[in-house]
Amino acid sequence: MKKIKKNWLEWTVFALSTVLIASVIGFLAYESAMLGEALPDIQLQVGTPEARTGYFAVPIEASNRGDQTAEGVHIEVVLRSGKEEERSDIEIQFLPRRGRREAWVTFKTDPRAGTLEARVLGYEKP
Amino acid sequence: MTPPVTDSLREYARGIAGGLMFSLPLLYTMEVWWAGFVADPLRLILYVATVFVLLLGYNHYAGLHHDACWSEVVIDSVEEMGLGILVAAGMLFLLGQIETDHTAVEIVGKITIEAMTVAIGISIGTSQLGGDEAKAKGGAEASAKTEASFGGQLAIAGCGAVLFASNVAPTEEILLIATESHLLKILGLVLLSLTITASILYYIEFSGSRPLERAGESILSVVMGTMVSYAVALAVSAAVLWFFGRFEEVALLTCVAQTVVLGLAATLGASAGRLLLQ
Repeated sequence: MKKIKKNWLEWTVFALSTVLIASVIGFLAYESAMLGEALPDIQLQVGTPEARTGYFAVPIEASNRGDQTAEGVHIEVVLRSGKEEERSDIEIQFLPRRGRREAWVTFKTDPRAGTLEARVLGYEKP
Repeated sequence: MTPPVTDSLREYARGIAGGLMFSLPLLYTMEVWWAGFVADPLRLILYVATVFVLLLGYNHYAGLHHDACWSEVVIDSVEEMGLGILVAAGMLFLLGQIETDHTAVEIVGKITIEAMTVAIGISIGTSQLGGDEAKAKGGAEASAKTEASFGGQLAIAGCGAVLFASNVAPTEEILLIATESHLLKILGLVLLSLTITASILYYIEFSGSRPLERAGESILSVVMGTMVSYAVALAVSAAVLWFFGRFEEVALLTCVAQTVVLGLAATLGASAGRLLLQ
C-alpha cells in the first residue's frame, strides 16, 4: 500500500469528521435502543395569563411523554368564570416524541378571574 | 509530497459550495425537517450506512483523486460526510430549525437527514466543479479510468439518482400525483422516463460528456443500458420513499405509482450521473 499524502488540515478535517459521524451514529443507536413503542402521551401545562392589547394571552406548554410523534395536536382551553364559559383552541402541527412545544391561546374575558382547563381534543399519527 | 494547505482549503470550499447547491432545496423543505424526528433512529442509521456506501463507490470511480487507493477513498468519504453534518447543522441553525426547546433526538434527526444529501453534494462538488488545475492533475489517470466498470456505473448512477430523488421524495406532491392521476398517465410517465433515459445516455450530447455510444453499438445494448439506468432509478426511488415512510399504510398500487412518479426524477439523476461523472 502506498503512503497517503495528507497535510495537517486534511488530517484535522478527517479526525473531526470521524468524531462527528461516530457521535451521530452512537447517539442514534443509543436512542433507538432506549426508544419504546409507547403511543403519544401529551401533557398540558397552563401558564400565567398576560394582558395584551384588547385580549388576554395564556401560554400553553404541551409535552409529549410518548415514544411516537403526534401530528396536528388539537388543544382546547375552557375558561370558566362564574356562569360564563369561554372556549379557545390551538393546533400544534407536530409534537415530536419526548419533545415539547409552546403556544398561546387568547381570551376576551380576563382569565385571572376564573379557572382555566386545558385538554387535548385529538391528534394523528404522522 | 503533501499538497499545500491552501489547495486543500480551496477543495473543501468548493465541496461545500457544491453541497449547498445540490441540497438547498432539501434544507428549505419542512417535510424533511419533520422526517428527521418522525423517522425511527434505526432507519436513520441505515440511511447513513447506505449513503456512505454510495460515497465510497462515487469517490472510487469518479472522485477527484483518481489515483486514490481504498484507504484514501474511505478517508475522503468520511471527510465529506463529516463536512455534510457540519454544513447541515449550520444551515439548519440559520434557518431557525434548531431551537433551545427542541430535544436532542429531534435536532440530531434533522441534521442527519439533511447532512446525507449535503454529503453527496459535497462529493460531487469537489470532483466536478474543480478548476483546470485539478482536472489537469488527475488528467492522465482520469483518461485511464474513464472506462468505469459496470459496478462503478451502477454506483455513480445510484448517487445521481439519490441526489435528484431525495429532493422531491419527502414532499406531499408525490403521494398526491400517485393517488390522483389516472393510471394511464402514470404509465405515460414510465414511457417518458425510458425515452429521456435513452436520449440522455445515447442521443443528447451534454458538454463535457462522452456519449456511451461506440461504433457498431447494437440496438440491444442501447435497450439494455436504458433498462439498467431506469432500474437503478426505480430501486433508488422505492428505497428513498420507504425511508420517508411513504409506503406505510398505503395500497401496493399506490406504492408502485409513487415509485414511478419519483422514478422520473431519479432516472434524470441516474443517467446524467452516468454521463457526466465518468
